[in-house]
Amino acid sequence: MPGIDECLLEAMRLPGALGAAVVDWTSGLALGTVGDAPGGDHETTAAEAAELARLAAEHRAFAPEAGPDQAGQDPPVEDLIISNVDTYHVLRFVATSFDSSVFLHLWLARSDGNLALARIRLGEMAGRLVLG
Amino acid sequence: MTVVSTPPPRLPLRRRSFGPGVSPMLRRLAEERATGVLLRERGSLHLTDGQVTYAECPESPGLDALLTTGGVLDAGAWREAVARAGADGQVGRFLVDSGRVAEGVLELCHVAALFDAAYFVLGPSSAPARFRYGAAHWLGPVRSVPVAALERETLRRRELLHRIWPDPATDTAPLVRIDRAAEPPVPARQEAVLDQVDGVRTAADISLALGRPAFHTLVELRRLATAGIVTTASQPPTTPKSLKPPKSPQQSRGPRASRPPEPQRSPRADPAPEQQPPALDPASALLIQASADPDVALLRRLRDALEAL
Repeated sequence: MPGIDECLLEAMRLPGALGAAVVDWTSGLALGTVGDAPGGDHETTAAEAAELARLAAEHRAFAPEAGPDQAGQDPPVEDLIISNVDTYHVLRFVATSFDSSVFLHLWLARSDGNLALARIRLGEMAGRLVLG
Repeated sequence: MTVVSTPPPRLPLRRRSFGPGVSPMLRRLAEERATGVLLRERGSLHLTDGQVTYAECPESPGLDALLTTGGVLDAGAWREAVARAGADGQVGRFLVDSGRVAEGVLELCHVAALFDAAYFVLGPSSAPARFRYGAAHWLGPVRSVPVAALERETLRRRELLHRIWPDPATDTAPLVRIDRAAEPPVPARQEAVLDQVDGVRTAADISLALGRPAFHTLVELRRLATAGIVTTASQPPTTPKSLKPPKSPQQSRGPRASRPPEPQRSPRADPAPEQQPPALDPASALLIQASADPDVALLRRLRDALEAL
């Protein structure tokens, strides 16, 4: 039954992990952070990642074909992946029974990170964080 | 040459921000690693060894509301946990160890409720703050937040709201939908807020009904105001004083703050007296109708935005 810190430490054990955070995308608050952040600033990174997550969660273009209502999923998006020349970012939405707007943010070095593995593991962590 | 040291009087603009500092007293308490409760005009912050461990305020749903409204826990289980572990200051531990709440859920809701209440507690205040040294909060250790981080976040949140829509009127007043027929589709989380807008409810009422942090509701409401979908039910300048209901004395929650609360608190907790919304009577209802005219509503929003700049 992991708490926020255990969840983040588990994310940091993934190959290539540079930093991780649990972020609220309505307010832009980092609820927990571990490791490094781009520019060394977790709070700014959280606020910026939250903006992106909010757009992805709210725009209908990114919802499943069945429509968010039919799929019964809130938010309709599972994750977001961003790559640049040297790092990956994986943002994984956390589905909760209570009213929330939270995602996991993992920052990976591209040289030794495994994007497919990180994506799968992050999804599992998001589930365990709220199910116990 | 004389140096004028007194600042000029404030211009009679609508209040939009609360000055640069947050709370010098809170910083001092952090430095001395104090344990106890800081009582401010709008609520209280509980400190353990100089870190904030709990915050409460009538305008934001507490941890209990976040957990119970979302169906994580029923109200009876919450009461039982407070009754059994409140005296030892281990309610959080009890909830997790007894398998009622997952640790991650407790932490997410606790931190959300803490920053949420602190945003209001650290808001503008016209009364002096007090600090009672004493025991740590009855919830017990879940996650604690450094004072500096809490202050930074509070300032960032003020700025965030101001950036979305500079008029704070939707934060406290009863709200109406401007023109239901002309509303564009809105995202699901905004729709949940919009469904609660009925001409009477305020942001605080909506937050309690949804079991959602109040700041989240403020964000969605300011977005809805920007989009011209929601406005305040009655504009303060056009509301005659006689329409306001009699002010009820604010109940003091402070002195008992370190002890477990009564099982149920009134869902309509007391807002600060000066923010009490006017009751909706026929005269206000007419004002609502008037503002439902899209042109009038647009002009009004434009005026409000200019005033708030």
